[in-house]
Amino acid sequence: MTPEQITLVQSSFERLGPDLPAMTARFYQELFERDPSLRPLFTTDMREQQVKFAQKLTEIVQTMPRLAELLSHTRALGARHVGYGVRAADYQTVGDALLAALAGTLGEEFDPATREAWVLAFNIVAETMLEGAASARPIGS
Amino acid sequence: MTLPRWPIVGRRPELEVFERALGSGERAGLVVYGRAGVGKTRLADECAGQAAASGHPTERVAGSRTTALLPLGAVVALLPDQLGRLGPDGQVNAAALFEQTRQALHDRHRGRRLVTVADDMALLDAASLALLGYLSAQRAIFLIATVRTGEPVPDLLTDLWRDGRLERVDLHDLSRAHVDTLLHLALGGPIEAGAGQEFWESSRGNPLYVHELVLGALQSGALVERSGVWHLEDHLPASSRLLDLVEQRIGGLPAEARSVLELLALCQPVELGYLETAAPAGVLESLEGAGLVTITVADGQVRLAHPLHAKVVRAAMPKLRARRVLLAQAERLAASGSAPSQAGLRIAVWRLDAGAQPDPAVLVRGAQLARSAHDFRTVRRLIEAVPGEQLDAVGALLLGEALYELGAFDAAERVFALGQELPSSEHIALRLAVTRAKNAQWGLCRPEKALAINAAARAVVTSAPLVEELVADEASVLTFSGHPDRALAVLGRTAGGDQRTRVVRAIAGAIALAAAGQTAEAVALARAGHADHVALGDEPAIAHPAMHVVNQVFALTEAGRLAEAELVAMAGAEIVAAQRVPIAQIWFAVNLGRVAILQGRVVTARRFYAEAAGLAQSSRFAGSRRVALSGLALAHAMLGEADAAAQALAERAAAPAFGFLGPEQHLADAWAAIASRRPAEAAEVFRSAAAEAASTGHRLSESWLLHDLMRASGEDVSGRLRELAGACDSPLVFARARHAAAARVRDAGELAGAADDFEALGAMLLAAEAAGSAAGAFSGAGDRRAATASLRRSSALAAACEGAATPGLFHLATVNAAAAAPLSGREREIVLLAATGMASKDIADRLYLSVRTVNNHLQHAYAKLGVTSRAGLAQALGSAI
Repeated sequence: MTPEQITLVQSSFERLGPDLPAMTARFYQELFERDPSLRPLFTTDMREQQVKFAQKLTEIVQTMPRLAELLSHTRALGARHVGYGVRAADYQTVGDALLAALAGTLGEEFDPATREAWVLAFNIVAETMLEGAASARPIGS
Repeated sequence: MTLPRWPIVGRRPELEVFERALGSGERAGLVVYGRAGVGKTRLADECAGQAAASGHPTERVAGSRTTALLPLGAVVALLPDQLGRLGPDGQVNAAALFEQTRQALHDRHRGRRLVTVADDMALLDAASLALLGYLSAQRAIFLIATVRTGEPVPDLLTDLWRDGRLERVDLHDLSRAHVDTLLHLALGGPIEAGAGQEFWESSRGNPLYVHELVLGALQSGALVERSGVWHLEDHLPASSRLLDLVEQRIGGLPAEARSVLELLALCQPVELGYLETAAPAGVLESLEGAGLVTITVADGQVRLAHPLHAKVVRAAMPKLRARRVLLAQAERLAASGSAPSQAGLRIAVWRLDAGAQPDPAVLVRGAQLARSAHDFRTVRRLIEAVPGEQLDAVGALLLGEALYELGAFDAAERVFALGQELPSSEHIALRLAVTRAKNAQWGLCRPEKALAINAAARAVVTSAPLVEELVADEASVLTFSGHPDRALAVLGRTAGGDQRTRVVRAIAGAIALAAAGQTAEAVALARAGHADHVALGDEPAIAHPAMHVVNQVFALTEAGRLAEAELVAMAGAEIVAAQRVPIAQIWFAVNLGRVAILQGRVVTARRFYAEAAGLAQSSRFAGSRRVALSGLALAHAMLGEADAAAQALAERAAAPAFGFLGPEQHLADAWAAIASRRPAEAAEVFRSAAAEAASTGHRLSESWLLHDLMRASGEDVSGRLRELAGACDSPLVFARARHAAAARVRDAGELAGAADDFEALGAMLLAAEAAGSAAGAFSGAGDRRAATASLRRSSALAAACEGAATPGLFHLATVNAAAAAPLSGREREIVLLAATGMASKDIADRLYLSVRTVNNHLQHAYAKLGVTSRAGLAQALGSAI
């Protein structure tokens, strides 16, 4: 990523402001539409889940410029997801749902350059979460 | 500047495939397939790393130009401390060695599967591949193999893949987003916009390009960090070749770093402990930071990061320096007292690579391993590296056999002759004699020399079982040089012998019995021989086990069991094609050609014989090629392709005489003469070949030749065929005799009966011809209804004959042509004879007419058929079939 792209991710995220909960709700809606089989993985109250997701996303966006700090978040987060049986293919679905939710909430402000920046940011997060997941998952035999 | 470990990006789905494959317990391994630099090695190492983190033992083997010098050189790390022992005949027992290796690995890792990375499978020698195949099939290892796109995939992998035991992932270049993530993680922070774009455009998503470009730019100072952002101060190298990139990067290293790389390129892996004392402080760290070497903490070994680095370093290294390093390392290892077998192999590989003389015992052992994997090129290379004065009889046997298998028959003869002069056990002496005789017969095409070699050995060998084997071998030489009668006489004088002798007796006996007409016994013997041979295993100096199956096909054919013969041959041909046994491939094809000729499927026969001739040429078996070309000429001639038949015969003339199926080879000459309208010559060839067959005990061939003589010329051969039918058990001979007897007296019912017999055997062309003769005989007897029915039947049968144009089918053409302008009975009779090329004078003699009458009839027939000459007549008839 370029420094400008990191800034773009952060500024567009800030612009969500009070719409963050709406974007989060929309994200889950988009996600379950894309893959209904993911729905049963979320056993907790969905409202609580949305709040947790918004917090994590905020943390990640804020640490975007500081890679070491970002990685400590994402690797641990990935390791925590191992128990749910989440796989690499699911991350693609999650990424698509997130981009759709952002586009739907931000409207015209989510221009191609912003979208590109989010694609790259999400890719870094997904790759390092998967790395954290792999090291937390012993291979049985 | 030291970077963190180079990250792996965009490969999580593939890593998950590995996790599932290893975890499921049902898979024997994973193959990683992709272009150079796409990240196969990196992925394989990451897989092994994950396995190790989960407590699996791991190992790494890698092929290289160097390790390929010696069998098992690449898999030294897997081998037990002691290598297998030699058997009494000087052969290494590969099966026992493999099992010993499995047991040792099982003990060493307490039953856990060893996750084994085999990098660049195409560079592994045959014995190493065989060992890896065995160990993965036995679940001693989980194999992670890398194969570069466009390189041959070893049989081992295709076999495992076919059985569903292997997972496969195909690696592709990275996407733009993944290259961006890779740069971000590798550099630890953002990169300015133009720089990221330039890396993407230069690498086009190839991960090794990215790796080399980034590390090269860091080394040259083109890529620098300012306030947390990476900037490119200079353009990336313009060259688009990966190799150039690596060369530039390595070329810029200081001398002490280069010498570490050179040592690794020649001798990797090298122990970390040794390198730390051998290289100045800091050098290893800087090489690791530059992404050029990897250090495995678990086993304390250092390797180059990528095979390409090794290639570049070696290519730039002066030969003398390479030699000095290799010899110094061999000396160091010899003095270190590590595990003898592993160190021994390594030392031998390095000495070979340095062009120095390794221990001859190691070379012979290596050659034996290569031989057990049928890798005759390696056998030849290793034994030829043994100095002449140190070559013993075992080495000569290995080398001679390898030269024979590689088609260097004269060289093989010289080596065998030399080997027989050397002191040896009786076992080895016998193997030398038998293999030398085989080379003389099949390679040099000199059966009399093979018999002399056999006789000389008989004068020396004393042990009874070995004498028995030599007797069986004499029978084999006789059978395959065209003397089934003498072969059977020799076999009749002996009995018993050990399993090996029984196998040789079966090879000689099955063919001789079938040729002599004892087809039921021949089929049974071929089957028993195969069972014995499979139980015995694949031994040197003896035909391949599949040759019994070839013999069975031959015997079934002679027994008239054509459909069965075809089925067995098709199955056998597929197996030996997969195993690449040229001699068996040739003979399955020849036998499929024979079956097809007898079935009347002449185009099919042409294809099989052409295939056999091609195979024989590429494997240099001139005698076998001669037989195949005879069949090819025969098929062409039966299709009326006179020029092509003559061409095949001309090619055949360049091959040395070859006695096997000798009389039958003359079918080609006779039929070529028929196709070229030289009937008198054809008849003469049939007669003399039949006489030759009679004098050598080829009853089946004799019956074939005589029957064809009758088909072509109408000559009465019924007396001799009746005798042959009495001496043989084959319905094929019975049908031929019935046909000839019926034709002699123009017995319509019997001719139709012969057609029934041929049809029941699947011999459609012969059935069509007999039915045609029956039609003529019915017509002559005034039974028009039976004549029409026989004619229709003949047409139907001929439709299965793929366009055969034999004289026996001309009646159909006349009938068809005559439908428009009916020929009189006399006209048809004369036209049929004229179409075979017979002169008017001869036709007149045969039909008790004057020459003028014959010519008058012919002129009328020409007018009706719209032709002006004999050649035109044959053409009109031929095309009307």
